[in-house]
Amino acid sequence: MSLCPDLPRPGFSFDNCKRNAALESRGYKSKGFVKTGTTIVGVCYKDGVVLGADSRATGGNIVADKFCDKLHKMSNKIFCAGAGTASDCDKVTEMIRGQIALLELNSGRDVRVASVVRIIKQYLYRYQGHIGCALIIGGYDATGCHLHSIAPHGSSMELPYLTMGSGSLAATAVLESRWKPDLDLEATKKLVRDATAAGILNDLGSGSSVNMVVLTKKGNETFYPYDIVCAKGVRSGLYDFPSGTTKVLRTKVIPYEIEKVEVRGASEEDEPMDI
Amino acid sequence: MFMTRSEYDRGVNTFSPEGRLFQVEYAIEAIKLGSTAIGIQTSEGCVLAVEKRVTSPLMESTTIEKIVEIDKFIGCAVSGLMADSRTMIDKARVEAQNHWFNYDESMRVESCAQAVSNLAIKFGDNDDDGTAMSRPFGVAILFAGIDEKKGPQLFHMDPSGTYVEFLAKAIGSGCEGAQQALQEKYHKSMTLKEALKEILVILKQVMEEKLGVDNVEVATITKEAGFHMFTKDQVREVIQDI
Amino acid sequence: MMSHEPEPSPTTCGAPLLQRGFDPYRDNAGTLVGIAGEDFAVIGSDLRLSLGFSIFSRDQSKLFKLTDRAVLGSSGCWADCVSLNKFLEIRLKTYGFEHNQPMSTKAIAQCCSTMLYSRRFFPYFAWNILAGIDEDGKGAIYSYDPVGNFERVPYQAAGNSGPQVLPFLDSIVGKKNQSNPDKAPITKERAINLIKDIFISAAERDITVGDGTHIIVITKDGLEEIRLDLRKD
Repeated sequence: MSLCPDLPRPGFSFDNCKRNAALESRGYKSKGFVKTGTTIVGVCYKDGVVLGADSRATGGNIVADKFCDKLHKMSNKIFCAGAGTASDCDKVTEMIRGQIALLELNSGRDVRVASVVRIIKQYLYRYQGHIGCALIIGGYDATGCHLHSIAPHGSSMELPYLTMGSGSLAATAVLESRWKPDLDLEATKKLVRDATAAGILNDLGSGSSVNMVVLTKKGNETFYPYDIVCAKGVRSGLYDFPSGTTKVLRTKVIPYEIEKVEVRGASEEDEPMDI
Repeated sequence: MFMTRSEYDRGVNTFSPEGRLFQVEYAIEAIKLGSTAIGIQTSEGCVLAVEKRVTSPLMESTTIEKIVEIDKFIGCAVSGLMADSRTMIDKARVEAQNHWFNYDESMRVESCAQAVSNLAIKFGDNDDDGTAMSRPFGVAILFAGIDEKKGPQLFHMDPSGTYVEFLAKAIGSGCEGAQQALQEKYHKSMTLKEALKEILVILKQVMEEKLGVDNVEVATITKEAGFHMFTKDQVREVIQDI
Repeated sequence: MMSHEPEPSPTTCGAPLLQRGFDPYRDNAGTLVGIAGEDFAVIGSDLRLSLGFSIFSRDQSKLFKLTDRAVLGSSGCWADCVSLNKFLEIRLKTYGFEHNQPMSTKAIAQCCSTMLYSRRFFPYFAWNILAGIDEDGKGAIYSYDPVGNFERVPYQAAGNSGPQVLPFLDSIVGKKNQSNPDKAPITKERAINLIKDIFISAAERDITVGDGTHIIVITKDGLEEIRLDLRKD
């Protein structure tokens, strides 16, 4: 026995897989994972890329977070919008961002969108879809502006406009009817807003507000939120309780006894710290 | 071709050229052979009284049952073929319980009469149309009870299934005399006690035998106590009054 | 020695039993809230009809006006809710014809229960709340489970947000676990505002609640209807 317990090994722990399989074979039904709904949208325009996302996070029928951030910064000019299992999207983007930062520091150049996509898709492919990330990656690099999507199994595609998540059907309807090549910035922002809002309004898994990021050669400009599609409802009543509502059953006072008070002044011997 | 009445009174579902159903009319006639039964409705409740024909001193008079409870607030007095009446009483009781089961409330007196009426007209000689009997039922029934909204009510139903509300009604062999007497004596402000006394006075007048505790049945239905069948002692008490 | 093999089923003559998936129920969600007062009852439902992440309708009330003193709220599988209420309507009409009076709220309550229980082994997938005025003019709420168990209660929440709303009602209307609660009976205005606020709050956290709410206030003078918009996401 060592005094210091072993540090957990890095990477995923599969310790409970055998136990879970045994439980399942004895009739215990696994609850399954939480399906999360989302609407994420990406659109290329003549000077860059605009990404948009709703801000609802759900656990079953319950809204877990009304203002969650689904736009992840990968580098100064590359952002990634995530749909699927919330924790997978957060962790994967966080992890890859680290790798990209190192890559940029080592190479002394801005990383390319294609590189980010390649790193992520290779990672996701290793896990055969078990990491539930559906991502839209957009950004500006030395070769211009690019917009890619990556499915959980690792396949990717590059397109001028994209949408993913449970609200993608509603968003696609807007994009298909209104997207044109070489839109200007305002029109693109409006289009991304409307496509995301279509998801927010028509898909129960998406909601609240539209977050947006514009990526150009100048860098990124974020809008948190770009538009609050559905504001919080206003209640008319006040639901606080008068004091004394909770009965005091018992009172016990534990006195904090001060044995000795000593105030130590700064002496000549103490040296000030250097800064 | 068929001129005489006797040729149209065979089939129970055949109208005569004058538009009459003879079998039903005969059934109504049959009631007049039955023992007398009287019912009175007052604002306090209803009273039912029947004569029991005790034809032999060896007969156990308590086994003749002509007033029965249908539900807590409905009672019935019957006259005519007693065997037929059992079927109808069963129907009334089942309907009353069904109503309570489905709606958690006691059945209305009128609804009870309606339910039994539905059975009363289910006669015919077909085997396959769910008929209850091959001939009309040979009974008339007085339904007495308390309606939750309208208060005490008395209904009379004859073998044709027709039911009508009455303030006071007599059926059976002595019905003509009794009905005449009821018409003279009945008034709207009658109390239950007065009605109880009057009903026995009238019954006494129309009965062939001497009225006694063994050959009458008396029951009241009130909002407070529901259906109440009088014991022999209670009957004796009322008889002493008249 | 005893075999651990399961005995062959007599109906399949030893062949493995083939089970086909049969899932006729759909959860179209919906939330119901009812509060009974001294001489009134209020019942509310949301207006959103959904399946999974899709919205079928943004204007579908789950309240069924049965008489001028009783309203039934049904949520769950919408097809079952509609079917149940159609049959109930038939029962109400025939009752009216047979007994020459409208069905009392208490009678409707019992009737609903027997109708639900008649489908004990293939139940209506419907959660119901009956709101009305009883024979004494008092407000009444009856709460049901899908197979007909019912109970008269002072307030109830059912449907998708039921589990979230009921504790709130317990606290605010039932005044449970309060040491010196205000015993005054709830007023009509307070009950209406409470139901409005409940739906506003439910729409914040339950994805199936939204678009609008339909509230019916039942008093001896009849039914009063109120509609309120909710967030649409």
